[in-house]
Formats: sequence, structure tokens, C-alpha cells
Amino acid sequence: MVVAAAHLEGGFVTDHASAEPLRGANSGDALVAEFVESWRGLEGDAWIVRGGRDEVRRTIGEAVRTMTGDGGPATRRRVLAWATADLASLELPGLLAEQGCEYVPWPSGSSGGADAAGAEAAAPTAAELLTLAAASDLGITTCAWAVAETGTIALYATPATGRLPSLLPTAHLALVRPSQIVETIADGLRLLADHMAQQGGPPSAVNLVSGPSRSADIEGDLAVGVHGPRRAGVIIGDW
Amino acid sequence: MPGELPPAGATWAERRRRALADPAMRAAVAKSTRNLAAKKEAAFAAYPAGEAMRTRAVIARRGSLARVDALLDELTRQIEARGGHVSRAAGPADVGRYVLDVARRRGVERVVKSKSMATEEIALNEQLEAAGLHVRETDLGEYIIQLAGERPAHILVPASHKTREQVRALFDEEAARCAVDPPTGDATPELTAFARRQLREDFLAADMGISGGNFLVAETGTLVLITNEGNGRMTTSLPPVHIAVVGIDKIVATWIDLADLLQQPALSGTGQRLSTYTTFITGPRREGELDGPEEFHLVLLDNGRHELLGTEFEDVLTCIRCGACLNVCPVFRTIGGQAYGSMYSGPIGVVLTPLLGGLDRAPELPKSACSLCYACGDACPMEIELPRHILALRRTEVERSMEPWTDRLTFELWGRFWANPAGFRLTGRMARLGQRAYVRDGRLKGAPGLVGGWTATRDAPPLARESFHEWWSRRRTSRAGS
Repeated sequence: MVVAAAHLEGGFVTDHASAEPLRGANSGDALVAEFVESWRGLEGDAWIVRGGRDEVRRTIGEAVRTMTGDGGPATRRRVLAWATADLASLELPGLLAEQGCEYVPWPSGSSGGADAAGAEAAAPTAAELLTLAAASDLGITTCAWAVAETGTIALYATPATGRLPSLLPTAHLALVRPSQIVETIADGLRLLADHMAQQGGPPSAVNLVSGPSRSADIEGDLAVGVHGPRRAGVIIGDW
Repeated sequence: MPGELPPAGATWAERRRRALADPAMRAAVAKSTRNLAAKKEAAFAAYPAGEAMRTRAVIARRGSLARVDALLDELTRQIEARGGHVSRAAGPADVGRYVLDVARRRGVERVVKSKSMATEEIALNEQLEAAGLHVRETDLGEYIIQLAGERPAHILVPASHKTREQVRALFDEEAARCAVDPPTGDATPELTAFARRQLREDFLAADMGISGGNFLVAETGTLVLITNEGNGRMTTSLPPVHIAVVGIDKIVATWIDLADLLQQPALSGTGQRLSTYTTFITGPRREGELDGPEEFHLVLLDNGRHELLGTEFEDVLTCIRCGACLNVCPVFRTIGGQAYGSMYSGPIGVVLTPLLGGLDRAPELPKSACSLCYACGDACPMEIELPRHILALRRTEVERSMEPWTDRLTFELWGRFWANPAGFRLTGRMARLGQRAYVRDGRLKGAPGLVGGWTATRDAPPLARESFHEWWSRRRTSRAGS
């Protein structure tokens, strides 16, 4: 926990905080369970995967079907996914092709894998990416860390991990490793502080996302999916 | 320099009359405020850590205010080092000029906005529209209010006074204007789907996004934006230019301060543990990034804030705009937000409106829009002494406005008369005699002179046949005799 005395002076540089353990008594499975309970409480979808890579791949397929609707043969669903090294081993192009989806990697913007193979497209402009993201049914990302007691995932904006895939598609699916889950927001911000200390400052944008977009602006009645994704899903597992 | 707020529009009497004559609005406000107040209670009850964070957050906010100038300098250095721009604005005109300069340079035609009290305070939309820009509010509640041509009626839920039928009518009109399909019905998902579709178009076509800010972190030059709908993310991610207009009071020194503050707007506002989207923005997009704004500007708004530093009212600058004081206020629940004639309504509005805009802007608020029940003082998560401030402003206003000299003399003599027990008792006996002509059906339904002002709009129980003091004396005498 952050102690009150720390308020008096100093920030992430002078008060480099990760010396303390991030997790108290609560660890491992208990954190996963608490995170999932919080996330579902916010109307989010959640899958826990105990097996390894193959099981995660199978679950991604299930999540894609659940979150985008089966759609039938007439509608070809478009999935926009961060093309990071971390996700490479899941071989999303093939997996999504099996699901009948078009795979669009971020940030290159050109369809990879089974779809439009060999197309030598120039790097897309920002406007093209915007249109592409807005016309996607699902965005797939990982996260930097997740918080159990609030049901929150943290997304850092970098060239490889853009803001749009978690924002504009109709649904957003995040892959979370169990070891990334911490108990409180303060614990998560401490991980951000570590990142800042290493990188000399914060990313251009950090988004903490707690479930799908919501509003209670009409008669206090909860509406899910006003501007951001209508559905927000997490798969917790290792791959 | 005191600040400048947009005019109230109608007179206090007219605003009050309109509010009291609108039972649908009053029912909607009563329902939403009770609902939000209950959610806040439940959120803290289920989450003891939230209360611990809250007490630390109060210290963090006050500590940051104590050195606000140094922190603003640090914030500016940090943002400029990351390629962002920072401008200081004394009041509404400075902000308008700055935003329009950027808009002209970038050839901006269409602006999207996420919900911001600071831009309401300076009527930025009017300034931009007067210059020919198309401005779209994108928070669902603000969108409804913009279509209705009204001002937000609640800090947090600006359209909480509207019924779904009214919302549907506004959306139908907008659909006709834009030649698009109207909402398919007045169920919440149908209304929301219409707004989503319409506002998507605005987001994708916008040349500039304007946001407010919930907090600023000095040590890294970071803007913190909290929303539930995601419109804050859209506004700050999609358009090529992002301008944030933020009051200087929103600054905190460090991320450690922020850690304790971050959940407070949600806990006290809607009863969530954290709002759905919390965004930390530090400068424009970086080298190699394909999304995010090319330009980032922060306009630091003073508008009378600096003048409050070091005064007895300083703590109002720690307000996090959660609306908790509105939700417990019996006056707000009765007349709703529009009657205050200010974007800041409820108890915080009663205090903030005259403090930022001058007492001449809203003398009626501290004088009349408070029953001194003190509920707001208990509800405020930042422990702002709202009732004390309302009393202080009321005293200033009453002393200032008590004219003619006969008023002063009357109250002076009355005060002296009642300071003496014999005088007080004499008044009671006279009143009991005098009230006979006015008591009907066991209620006091009229009175002569000064008291008539009270009974003109309400009745009262009549004075008892015997005062407590008389009863006590009689009882003691009869006992002593027995």
C-alpha cells in the first residue's frame, strides 16, 4: 500500500516504489478469481484458461464467436489485432481464418496470413487506419497489467500497441497473463512508475479500461456501449 | 482578478417559478439524486480502502494547492519537453482566442468535445460557433442538452432532468434535420444506438478534439481524463489536434497523490470503484505512433481561481466535481439544476458561482438557495466546508444589500429586543393574541407586516396557547404549593 507519508514529497523518480512486494497475502488464483469477478460485475466477458498455448488459441476462437456473433456466412467479420512479438506465437492469422474472420494486424494495416496473401500494400495513412478500425468487429490486444479489485486492464500506447484497436471496433478482447494481475490501482500505478523510471516518463497515452463503455445519462438507466466497445472481454491464461 | 461566468439568463424569480411548475423535471431530479446518493453510500460501505484513500486524497489536494504556482511551472516544463504546448488563460476571452488561433492555423471546421465543466464555465461553444466552427458535444447527456439548447442541469449527469420521451423527441428532430433514420423506440438501448451512430460520424470527421481534465500530474506533465462512455478517449485519440481546457485547481504534485485521488470521482459520483475509462495523456503522439493527436495543447484556466488561494474559501478549489453535494441537497432535489442559473448548481454552485463570477452575478444563491441543513458538508469527499462558506457569503450579501437604513434599524432594534428574556416573552404573548384573526383549520394562514412574507407562500402551525416557559413556571408553582 502507498503510505500516507509518501504524500509529502517526491514522485516516481525520488520515491521509486517497487521495492515493496506487489501482492500481500492475496496471490495467484485468488487474484485471478477476484479480477474475473470484478470484470464480470462490470458486464464484461471473461474466460480463464488453465492449459497453455493451444487452450488459449481455442478460447480465442470461442471468444471471437461469442463477442462478434456468429454472423453467418454472409457477414465476414474483421478482426484488428496488435501484431506484437508477444502475440506472434498464437498465430492469430491462421486462427482467425479458421473462424471465417478477416485478420488485420496493427499497425501495418494490411491483411496478413491466409487473407490477401502476397499483397504488397504501402503503409496505411492515419486516416486509413481510422476507417479500418471503425469498420472492425473486434480488436485484440494484450495489456500491461490488470487490477483485481476494480476489474481494470491497463493499455500503454506505443507504435506497436496503438490506441484504436481497443477503442473503435465493436468489441474488444484483451489477453491477460495471470502474473500481470495486481490487487489495487496503486499497485498498478507502481508498475507504471517502474516503466516511467526506465523510459524517462510515461507513454503518450495510458488507458485504464474497466469493462465495456457505459452511460446512465437517460433516466439513470444503464446503457452499455455508447461510444467505446459494446462488449469487452478478457482471456486470462499463459501461452 | 475575479473571473467571468456566462449570465444567468432569466431572473431568480422566473427560474424558480419555471422549476416549481415542472413536476416531470422535479420527479426525474428527485429520482436520480436519491439513486446516486444511495450508490455512493453503498460503494464506500463495501470498500473500506476507498475511505482510507479519500482521507489521504484530501491531504494531497490541499498540499498541491499550497504550491500551485511551482507545480504549474513544473507541469508546463514537462509538457513542453514532450512537444506539447501550454497556455495560461485569465478568463473566457483568452481561451477562445487561443483555441480559434489553433483552429485557423490548422484549418479546423469540425470540433468534437468531451464533457467539461471548465468549457461550460467560459461558454466556449458559443465562442467557437460565433466564429463559424461546428461544435459537437459527445457525452450522451451533454449531447441531449446541446440538442435541447439548454445548460447542464447536473455536474455529473447533465440530462438527468429529461425523461426518455423528451430525449426521443429531441433525437427525432435531429434525425429529421440530418435526414437519417430516427431511433427505433424510446428504450435506452434504442436511444443509445441512435446517439452512438450519429456521434461516430462526428468523431470520424472531426478536425479538433476539446476535452476538460479531471486532474493534472505536475511531475510528468500528464493530463488525467475520466469518462464512462469512452467519448473522452475518442475526443483525445481521433482528431489530429487535441486541446484540453483545465482549471489550475486540478493540479496534483505526484503520481502518488493521484493514486489516492483516481477512484474518488467514481466512488462519490456514481458509486463505481473506478470509472470505465481513465486516460493518462502525456503530450502528443510520439515518433512512430500511428494514432493519437499530432498536436497537444493545454490551456490552464484561471477565471478567478487564483484569487481564492489563501482565503477562507481556498478549499473550494479542491472540488473534484463528483456531484455528491447536489445529490443530498433538499433545495437541489426540489428545484433541479437549471434554476441555479449557473453551470455549477447545488451547494457547490451556490458557493462557486459567486466566488468565481462575483457576488453580483448570483446574490440570490447564497441568500436563498440553501436551507442550511448541512447535508452537503457531510457528503463532500474533499471535506469542503460548504455550509460555512454559504453562511459567510450570505452574511456578506445580506450586510451589503440591506437597504434602506430603516431595514438596518428594524433588525437592530429587533435584535436588542429579543436579546432580553422579557422582550422575547412579550413578543410571544402579543403574537398569540394577534394570530387569532389568521388561524383557520388549525393552521396559521396569514400574518400582518414582515411575517406576512413568510405566510404568503406557506402556512405554519399556530403558536401554542402556552409557552414552554409559562408551562414550566406554572408546574413548578403548583408543585411547590402541593
